Amino acid sequence: MTKPKIDPITLEILLNALRSVADEAYNALTRSAYSTNIKERKDHSTAVMDAKGRLIAQAENSLPIHLSSMAGLMRALLEKYSVEEIREGDIFVSNDPHAAGGSHLPDINLAMPIFYDGKLLAFACNIAHHADVGGMAPGSVAGGMTEIYQEGLRIPAVKLFDRGMLVRDIFEILLLNVRVPSERRGDYNAQIAACRLSERRMTEIAERYSADTLKVAFDEIIRRTENRLRAAIQDLPDGIYSFEDLMDDDGCGNFDIRIAITVRISGDRISFDFEGTAPQAKGNINSPYNASHATLCYVLKALVDPDVPNNEGVLNVCEMIAEPGSLVNCIAPAACASRANTCQRIVDVVIGALAAAIPEAAVAASNGANTAAVYSGQFPRSGEPYVYLETIGGGFGGRATKDGTDGVQVHSTNTSNLPIEVVESEYPLRVTRYELVPNSGGAGEHRGGLAIRRDVMPIDHFCTFSGQGERFRLRPWGLFGGERGENGRFALFNPKERRTTLPGKPMAVEVPPGTTISVQTAGGGGYGSPKKRSASAQAADLASGKFSSEFMKTHYE
Amino acid sequence: MAWTVGADVGGTFTDFYAVNEIDGRFAVHKTLSTPSNPARAITLGLEEMCRRNGIDVKDIERFSHGTTVGTNILIQRKGARVAVITTEGFRDLLEIGRQTRPKIFSLQEDYPPPLAPRMHRFEVEERMGPNGEVVQPLGEEDIALAVAKVRESGVDACAVCLLFSFVSDRHEKAIAAALGYAAPNVFVSLSSDIYPEIREYERFSTAVLNAYLQPAFDDYLTLLESNLREIIPAAVIGMNQSNGGLTSIGCARDYPVRTVLSGPAAGVLGAIDAGIRTSYRDIITLDMGGTSADVSLIRNGDAEICTSRDVAGFPVRLPMLDVHTIGAGGGSVAWFDKDGLMKVGPISAGAAPGPACYGQGGTEPTVSDANAVLGRLDSNGLLDGEMTLDLDAAREAIRPAAKRIGFTVEATALGIIDIVVSNMVHAVRKISVERGFDPRDFALMPFGGAGGLHAVDVARLLKIRTVVVPRSPGILCAQGLVVADKKEDLVKTARIRVSDDYRETAFLALGDLMAELGEWFERERIPEGERDQKIAFDMRFFGQNYELRVPLPNSGAGMLPDSDSLESMFLAEHRRSYGFANAGDDIEIVNIRLTGIGHRRNRISAGEAQPAADSPEPHSIRPVYFKPGEPTDTPMFHRRALVPGHRIAGPAIIGQLDSTTVVGIGDSLIVDRHSNLIIEIAQHRPEQR
Repeated sequence: MTKPKIDPITLEILLNALRSVADEAYNALTRSAYSTNIKERKDHSTAVMDAKGRLIAQAENSLPIHLSSMAGLMRALLEKYSVEEIREGDIFVSNDPHAAGGSHLPDINLAMPIFYDGKLLAFACNIAHHADVGGMAPGSVAGGMTEIYQEGLRIPAVKLFDRGMLVRDIFEILLLNVRVPSERRGDYNAQIAACRLSERRMTEIAERYSADTLKVAFDEIIRRTENRLRAAIQDLPDGIYSFEDLMDDDGCGNFDIRIAITVRISGDRISFDFEGTAPQAKGNINSPYNASHATLCYVLKALVDPDVPNNEGVLNVCEMIAEPGSLVNCIAPAACASRANTCQRIVDVVIGALAAAIPEAAVAASNGANTAAVYSGQFPRSGEPYVYLETIGGGFGGRATKDGTDGVQVHSTNTSNLPIEVVESEYPLRVTRYELVPNSGGAGEHRGGLAIRRDVMPIDHFCTFSGQGERFRLRPWGLFGGERGENGRFALFNPKERRTTLPGKPMAVEVPPGTTISVQTAGGGGYGSPKKRSASAQAADLASGKFSSEFMKTHYE
Repeated sequence: MAWTVGADVGGTFTDFYAVNEIDGRFAVHKTLSTPSNPARAITLGLEEMCRRNGIDVKDIERFSHGTTVGTNILIQRKGARVAVITTEGFRDLLEIGRQTRPKIFSLQEDYPPPLAPRMHRFEVEERMGPNGEVVQPLGEEDIALAVAKVRESGVDACAVCLLFSFVSDRHEKAIAAALGYAAPNVFVSLSSDIYPEIREYERFSTAVLNAYLQPAFDDYLTLLESNLREIIPAAVIGMNQSNGGLTSIGCARDYPVRTVLSGPAAGVLGAIDAGIRTSYRDIITLDMGGTSADVSLIRNGDAEICTSRDVAGFPVRLPMLDVHTIGAGGGSVAWFDKDGLMKVGPISAGAAPGPACYGQGGTEPTVSDANAVLGRLDSNGLLDGEMTLDLDAAREAIRPAAKRIGFTVEATALGIIDIVVSNMVHAVRKISVERGFDPRDFALMPFGGAGGLHAVDVARLLKIRTVVVPRSPGILCAQGLVVADKKEDLVKTARIRVSDDYRETAFLALGDLMAELGEWFERERIPEGERDQKIAFDMRFFGQNYELRVPLPNSGAGMLPDSDSLESMFLAEHRRSYGFANAGDDIEIVNIRLTGIGHRRNRISAGEAQPAADSPEPHSIRPVYFKPGEPTDTPMFHRRALVPGHRIAGPAIIGQLDSTTVVGIGDSLIVDRHSNLIIEIAQHRPEQR
């Protein structure tokens, strides 16, 4: 039987419609959620998957790391439930990296089957990073945790709604295990509403185009994306490219943790082999397969074709080889709350490997972290608990034609900051600085971007601080003669400005009122020899005050 | 006596619309814009229009003006050298922004650098807390030091951007006073004055943009004002703002940032006016020109408002008409992406060479070429025959694409139209469905040169039943200026939990705003009888971070709803917008908004004609493609031959000076008594390609 064909015009119109399904759900979720992570930092994604669980369309602003987490969760769901057990009005919930294809526990995934004419047509999916999922530390991402059991509530793929009815028993368990249940309930409601919105929209599209046409379109969307990406790989020089780098530590006293990669390009195929990478760590920096795979998809796209649509076709092209039980393919009961830092390092390592093959697309090592800071405590007057999580950007690596961006989220993360006026209106905290760090970008023909410093002080109460830093010991490297960027650090400053440096992954540090918690991220590495930096660029470095005259002398003369 | 003139300066043309408020006579006029000195086209065009239409310039009482001068200064980066004074520790805030990249997958794209370079951003030791309490006082010496730095830096303008200035503007005002004294030639913009709302980056960015625009905009206004004073010394001059209201020249001088998105806003006002006359109060507008399409939503005669937009890569936080723009116009080019899918726009053939069918050397297939090939454009050409169509060139432009996908040229042209229509449908969904509105409850009003060509297709896909084409779709913006009210938006951030006694706190905050508005009414010399005000609360569930605007039904401070009614109004709005509401959760007010309006004295009832008894005669019948395969013989009409009462059964094409309207197969058209074309859309399941 030959499949009916679909022309490139109808397909474009359909793809447009599918994207708008995901985009509309994305915006509804942003605007109606409670978690700061979702509403301001936009740490969420929405997608349409087909009946086989393949990713068809993702919202434009979805996060790369969620790309294959959704696919992983769908696989777990479809393995567990037969088609007969999936019914109209069901909504599935899950988060577990080991049992349900997730990437860390705070990312709560919802999936709703969409039926048309009584048959399963597709799934509406969304992932949102909840501010807390229980576990031993507020915010559920602090360092020092060694087992997934400590990191929060583990949810396998289960039904939160059964044929349109809320499964209250499940919901009660979900809410009892988190720190601010009323807020989390609002987040769940927002996610549920987003699923239902997608369901309505998909039904309308099926009415217009028929379910059969849609199924053909799903195949064709994936096929065309795969071909497009393969064509881009075909243009890369064949070869075997290797690189390795070390992570600072796992937060449990183990240092210099190796990530090694060998990229093999042959014709239109590309594979990423993590042979030589360290075994999974005791601390929570382990990356589950899906998070690592999503990261490879990100970096491949970013290097060869940033505009390629996000769907299963990208996942198909990206071949990943990694030993189960290794840092980048961890198994139960590995802790993985801070897998984002490891993922950021995977990006650097892949770019490092491919820099020689595609110097024009490569960038020097960036901040290379998803520096997280979690402030928690109780409001001094009401005694109500609060948890405030922030991720802080840093320097972007120098590029082939221009400097690295100063003070920005790099690579696979692109979450907004929480405005200072909002922080101080919502929490008993004062932000005393939010600024670029002079001299922190590595020198080069195109210098690395500057790091960020963000200082926060608890007001009238003891604040518990936990953090996840990377590139706090081992500095981001430069490319082609560019110099290293400056490393980051966590520190406390008491009212007399006396400094206490904290470890890179501090857990539950008690901070008295009036003491400042200072987070400083890493700057980017430089690209090309500093000797080649133009006089005008050097003059601008100096005039802007971004670099001191001592720095300029030391690095450019 | 009593003429009101609207003048809308666009990139290519400066449009005029004049109406006599007593007898309803009106005149329209178009003249080429003079980008190097936009005021020139205004004065020349104004005199020309008056001469041609027998209007005595002395009889012009009001002159309303919409301009893209501010927008152009920004896009071309021709604004002032700007300094910033900000809170210690936050010099880089404008540069860090939200610490995001414009496109997550792009390693190369950045947001534009701040308009005030780092060396001109100065810190002062001071700090306000979230309740307006002074955490760190601002000393006289520190002020003097900062002011001295601004003076030494030789800038033209300075933005003062302090944390929590939206709660207390004391420190910003103190700095402004010092600047005014020590650096009187420097234009000063205060973030607390431009728009006092929470979220520092957006507020600062808006203040810096204002400062950046001020000197050049001031020059423009000075020139314009002196030119106009010579011709129409007695006329009241109003400047249009992005919120769709007019303001005085003096106010526009202080707040040029309020004009940067005023262009599309004027069209929306024109649409509201045209709609209300013909009793359509719920309208989705579709303004499609050569390179882009603007869509907006009008609910019960009022345009939807949004408070944040990106302008040239910078966030602007101000009340603006919620107009969504996409790169879909007559000049949008069809091309194939790397995966072989056909795309249309945002690349545009622009004005030169323009679409291939204009015969000026264009070779890329555009939307206009597709329309030409399909027979939807009058082959006698545009602008009443001043510009003929090169159909062969259009066919040749589309042929390579047709070959590639194995379609006929006509089927490919239909595909191009389908894609551009789908893009516009996507845009309309953004401003309707994504805001919780069902497009089926609205009429679609197309305008601009190309709106009418695609309106029935857009409407059909959205299941909109009625399309209303205004009498002069090409100059609806100028028409909008004529009917615009004066408008001022005030806001106060005040977090108030909705409880039984919420009104006491709300009264206090509102009282301040009312006093401020009273001053504005006086300053703008708005007579008592023309004053009006609207109150709205931005509300959310306690713990959420995005607010929903809840307009209050009564406009007096003494008539605030009790907490139960307010709660149910909010819950209804939340349900409408998001499909659910967390009933029982705490609710809070975040911002109080007060809008002052100086109404126009009377609605002008322009030219109502007597209904005709006869049927309209087509000037020709031509084959037009509506679906792949054979064309349909379609009557072509001149718009000027259509009078109220005329009915036409689709298909039909109606041409006029600068725009064309397509009526689809099965659609039916009637000309209403205001000479609008009312098209009822035939709903049917679209055919499978």
